[in-house]
Amino acid sequence: MSSASLKKLEIKTGLKQLRELRKETITAATTRMKEQKQIIKAIKNQLQQPTTVPAIAEAAGIPPHMVLWYVAALKKYGEVKEVDKDGCYFRYCSIEAS
Amino acid sequence: MREVQIDSAQQAQAEEKRVGVYICHCGGNISDHVDVEALCARAGQAPGVAVARTHMFMCSDPGQEMIIKDLQEGKVNRVVVASCAPSLHESTFRGTLQRAGFNPYLYEHANIREQVSWVHHGRPATEKATALVAAAAAKAARLEPLEPIRMDVIRHATVIGAGVAGLQAALDLASRGIPVALIEKSPFLGGHVAKLDNIAPSNEKASELLTRLTRQVLDQPAITVHTCTRVVGFAGCVGNFTLRIKVDGEQGQDEGKKLHSMPTKTPRRGVFLPQYGVVTGSCPENPAEDSIETGAVILATGFKPYQPMFGEYGYGRHPQVVTLPEAIQALAGENGSHPVWHWHGRPIRNLAIIHCVGSRQIPGVHEAAEGAALNEYCSRTCCSASLGFANQVRENYPVTRVFEFYRDIRTYGRGQEELYQRASKNRVLFFRFEAQEPPRIESNGTGSESPLQITVKDTLTFGEEVQVAADLVVLAVGMKPNGIDDLVEMMKLPVGSDGFLLEVHPKLRPVELPNSGLLLAGTCQAPMDIGEATNAASAAAVKASGLLARGFVELDPFVAEVNLEQCTGTGACVVACPRDGALQLAEVAVNGKPFKKAQVSPAFCLGCGACVAVCPTNAINIKGWTLKQYEAMVDAIVADLAA
Amino acid sequence: MRLEAKIEVDAVVIGGGIAGLQTALDLAEQDYLVVVVEKDASVGGKMIRLSKVFPTLDCASCITTPKMAAAAHHENISILTYGDLKSLDRSSDGRLEAVVEKKPRFVDEAKCIGCRQCEYDCPILVADENQGGFSARKAIHIPFSNAIPQVATLDVDHCILCGRCEKVCPTQAVDYFQQPQTIRIHAAAAVIATGFQMTSLHDKPQYGSGEITNVIDALQMERLLAPHGPYNRVLRPSDGMEPDSIAFVQCAGSRDRSMGVPYCSRVCCMYAIKQAMLLSGALPLADITIYYMDIRAFGKNYEQFFQNAQAMGIQFVKAKVASLAAAENGAVEVCYEDQVNGGVTRTSHDLVVLSLGKIAAWNPFGTCPVEVAEDGFIRSVSPRLAATLTSMEGVFAAGAAAGPKDIVDAIAEAGAAAMKAASYLSACHRPKQARSGVSINVKPQPSRAVAMG
Ligand SMILES: Cc1cc2nc3c(=O)[nH]c(=O)nc-3n(C[C@H](O)[C@H](O)[C@H](O)COP(=O)(O)OP(=O)(O)OC[C@H]3O[C@@H](n4cnc5c(N)ncnc54)[C@H](O)[C@@H]3O)c2cc1C
Ligand SMILES: Cc1cc2nc3c(=O)[nH]c(=O)nc-3n(C[C@H](O)[C@H](O)[C@H](O)COP(=O)(O)OP(=O)(O)OC[C@H]3O[C@@H](n4cnc5c(N)ncnc54)[C@H](O)[C@@H]3O)c2cc1C
Ligand code: SF4
Ligand code: SF4
Repeated sequence: MSSASLKKLEIKTGLKQLRELRKETITAATTRMKEQKQIIKAIKNQLQQPTTVPAIAEAAGIPPHMVLWYVAALKKYGEVKEVDKDGCYFRYCSIEAS
Repeated sequence: MREVQIDSAQQAQAEEKRVGVYICHCGGNISDHVDVEALCARAGQAPGVAVARTHMFMCSDPGQEMIIKDLQEGKVNRVVVASCAPSLHESTFRGTLQRAGFNPYLYEHANIREQVSWVHHGRPATEKATALVAAAAAKAARLEPLEPIRMDVIRHATVIGAGVAGLQAALDLASRGIPVALIEKSPFLGGHVAKLDNIAPSNEKASELLTRLTRQVLDQPAITVHTCTRVVGFAGCVGNFTLRIKVDGEQGQDEGKKLHSMPTKTPRRGVFLPQYGVVTGSCPENPAEDSIETGAVILATGFKPYQPMFGEYGYGRHPQVVTLPEAIQALAGENGSHPVWHWHGRPIRNLAIIHCVGSRQIPGVHEAAEGAALNEYCSRTCCSASLGFANQVRENYPVTRVFEFYRDIRTYGRGQEELYQRASKNRVLFFRFEAQEPPRIESNGTGSESPLQITVKDTLTFGEEVQVAADLVVLAVGMKPNGIDDLVEMMKLPVGSDGFLLEVHPKLRPVELPNSGLLLAGTCQAPMDIGEATNAASAAAVKASGLLARGFVELDPFVAEVNLEQCTGTGACVVACPRDGALQLAEVAVNGKPFKKAQVSPAFCLGCGACVAVCPTNAINIKGWTLKQYEAMVDAIVADLAA
Repeated sequence: MRLEAKIEVDAVVIGGGIAGLQTALDLAEQDYLVVVVEKDASVGGKMIRLSKVFPTLDCASCITTPKMAAAAHHENISILTYGDLKSLDRSSDGRLEAVVEKKPRFVDEAKCIGCRQCEYDCPILVADENQGGFSARKAIHIPFSNAIPQVATLDVDHCILCGRCEKVCPTQAVDYFQQPQTIRIHAAAAVIATGFQMTSLHDKPQYGSGEITNVIDALQMERLLAPHGPYNRVLRPSDGMEPDSIAFVQCAGSRDRSMGVPYCSRVCCMYAIKQAMLLSGALPLADITIYYMDIRAFGKNYEQFFQNAQAMGIQFVKAKVASLAAAENGAVEVCYEDQVNGGVTRTSHDLVVLSLGKIAAWNPFGTCPVEVAEDGFIRSVSPRLAATLTSMEGVFAAGAAAGPKDIVDAIAEAGAAAMKAASYLSACHRPKQARSGVSINVKPQPSRAVAMG
């Protein structure tokens, strides 16, 4: 075996051990990630059109404070933008859709 | 951090000038109003500009790294940053060039925040920013490397004022091996603290604190104490000041006179005299002048208590209305033989303290004394001092009832809230009034037990009008800066609208003055208590010590420079120059013949450009701000407006 | 394998907030070698996370970054971030020894170029503590855009070891196997500048124990107002509505024996007034009310700032708020005894900000024998003449670590601590030549390696 592939193997077994060691947090984080993915999908579906946080919450059945959190996060990572104002609320829309 | 190589001037002349323009969003402060991307695109088109980029925060590490990378890769060799005011970040970005191995003066700053985004919006904002950036880029293309002016400093410091702040600053400097001249106008050390008794909130005795502090000062061989002394002349610049001082035991100093009339003709050095301070020796009978060569000067001239106007809360009208310093003095003088505190033979059964006298004045509500401005500030120390005084009375003379009339109780500091709680426990009664409806003080008519009556609308009991009888009314007077107009004038010190000396930056540089080499300590800057004044003093001392530590200072090279070929020696510039010693005509030999030519003393030159404006042959220029550079800036602005 | 490194310096500063940075700069200017130990991933402390600062309304990041950068680039200063102080005590040779465990970032500081590729690719969202929890960051992230150092940090509590960040990193900086490193710092003097923290929202049952979404703390409000905040505007967190009516509850946990904080937290009056002013700029139509006991605007220009706020139409109501409750449509009901008009009054607001109490961020018990006072902050042995002196010789305290303080007072005190440390160093120190002999390898090697890579 070349030294490079030996190194790779080492890393692989090392990672395996590390995964074993952190099993609990990894399982918990994975569960959270799956939930997050679903929620993001539901929210993004609503964001094809400009819409407000309460409207998304209502349509997707997700509490509004949670919707706001995800919208803020998606905005930060460049997936969503603020469009305009609708009464006391702002309307957001996914960047792809616009 | 790295070895810095500075390109030599010759190299620079030959090279092609490639300007990099770096535009800051300032996290929205700029980009919310200026179209930063459009600005960047336009800047990229400007003549001589090789690179134009933007960043969220140019001053952040990645922002600066971006500039360094471009410099080191040879993409650019002149830098313009368009961001906030140069006062904030010009030196940051000069440092960036230096770290990249470039001369720090190959840098030009465009202020598109204070001058643009904070005052204009929309298209006009972007347009103005474009013009400013174009001008900066045009100038940058004409920048040449410059060397800072390096000056040796005198390793000696002077402290003016020997209150707690001045004493502490002198001690700190001496502890670093720096010789100090401590100048005090009165014959005593200690300033206002000598007039205190129990110090709030720690309840130490002022006498003990001052004795301890001054003993260290008097025992420190590196400190020369000059009492009965004033500064009468001031010249020079950072690192090399000359102070003229005048010693005078008599002149206009009532404290001085009192010293001579003391029972013991020459009180011992180091002895604390209540109300006066610590004695350093007898005052000289004959005035004398001397001069001091010094590298840095710390101002610690302190404050004076507010003097109420005649009739203000009955002051002057009723003898039973006194100021807090007067009351502290009287109480300290009590020997405690009476179970009741007596004032001029009268027992004090009801004592009232009124807060915020001469402080927190509101335009339209309060009246200023003739020719004076309103004191709009809070004096910061009087709440705690009043509460400390109230506790002292209640604890020593339990029969005396104490009433405090206040607007807000400001016991903000460590140990101060406890004073307030202790006062409540001591059953001091509190009444809260609005500035618009201050307590009224009237005489109680003959025959009644207490001579005065106070009426107030108490907002703690839903605005009910309350009346309280009082044997003594104490006015918690605030602080005013000490009168130092002579020093302000002589040293060109900046004074704020509140009358206190004005620091460079109220948040970040509280003990520095814009005048390099001059520093601030204690209550000449703002009201402070003793702990805060000594902290400020140590902070000032550390700045002075840093300045003197290296043995030299470096000054910006933006000073006048004479082109000897063009100079015809008219001397117009010398007449125009506002600064003594900065410019003179000197004899120069040209082809064996003597000519008179202008000569600049860089350390004294202010770089104001008064000379440039009057020279008939354009022979004099300010380095880094030459006429050619100005012309290029104006051309760029005009071209931009035309486009 | 445990890595160990040794550093010899003149002074160690614990805490890299504004006070710690200023102390370090003032010491470095006297040609002393300084190392700053910071527990967070970035220096800057609370100040870098503020919006604008009273009374000048300077943008906080604009005036903090220059100090951070100046310290980071100073040739006499090394910065050790993400360090856990294990002990600070006198060693047998009479000098001080600070033992710091450098927590693994799982990112090689020397290789990371701060490009944030990893952060974009990481699939896990985590509440962003640097944005008051109102937005998200990733399991691997750079704390904020002007953090120093700009180095990614991996949060193992949320990492699923999917390997994406390692793959995407252009410099192979991600290292899942990184180990903690122990660093022994030998110094003659130490300055404690560990700052403050806020009491918890959860400790206040009458104010909803943190369960009412639209009741937030003042640091969260700073983030809502910051130019680079979570929403880029002020919205209430329950549903993103722009609030019409905002209330501040002062002394929410200060001057309150039952909360264990009998003292005044000293800055909350002023920051509430500041936030109210910024809010009335951002939301000109909103009603803003401050419920207070005393307004403590004692500093230079602070009273004038307070008077301006009153002139701007901000309502000041003298009252101790008794309780808060969630009401219809996200509103918050405030119940208080009105001291001016009398009676128990109830009002409703869209958003309520609590000016929580400030407590010491660091308890030295078990780590360092320095004494704390009854209030939990470092005790000063000479509060009137040399407030920065502690019970331990050669150990000084500055900033909010020695009691709540605003920025200007923290900076002045930092200068004072540097002065006292410098005096101490010149009194007890070896002569200069010897000094450079001992510490010659400090700056270029360990410090650089430790600080930024
Ligand atoms: C009524 C009252 C009660 C107080 N009680 C307390 C308390 O209980 N606890 C507490 O902590 N603080 C208290 N203070 C505040 C305390 O007095 C100040 O914090 C302290 O005196 C400030 O010291 P300083 O050195 O800045 O100024 P100062 O004490 O004013 O000293 C300034 C010195 O400079 C000298 N000077 C002025 N001009 C010149 C000049 N041109 N040339 C040479 N010398 C000059 C003056 O003669 C003086 O000696 C109280 C203040 C007042 C008014
Ligand atoms: C909501 C709010 C708004 C404010 N607004 C203003 C304002 O407008 N103007 C103003 O003047 N002031 C304001 N302040 C006050 C200001 O935040 C403080 O004055 C300032 O942050 C104090 O700085 P510091 O360095 O002493 O402490 P901190 O900022 O708390 O910094 C301490 C540092 O030490 C670190 N640390 C703690 N423990 C350890 C340890 N064991 N080991 C290593 N490192 C450690 C911390 O991580 C932190 O980086 C505000 C405060 C709050 C809460
Ligand atoms: S400290 Fe108290 S008495 Fe003095 S001016 Fe301020 S509020 Fe008024
Ligand atoms: S600063 Fe104001 S709000 Fe804060 S504890 Fe003190 S009095 Fe209360």
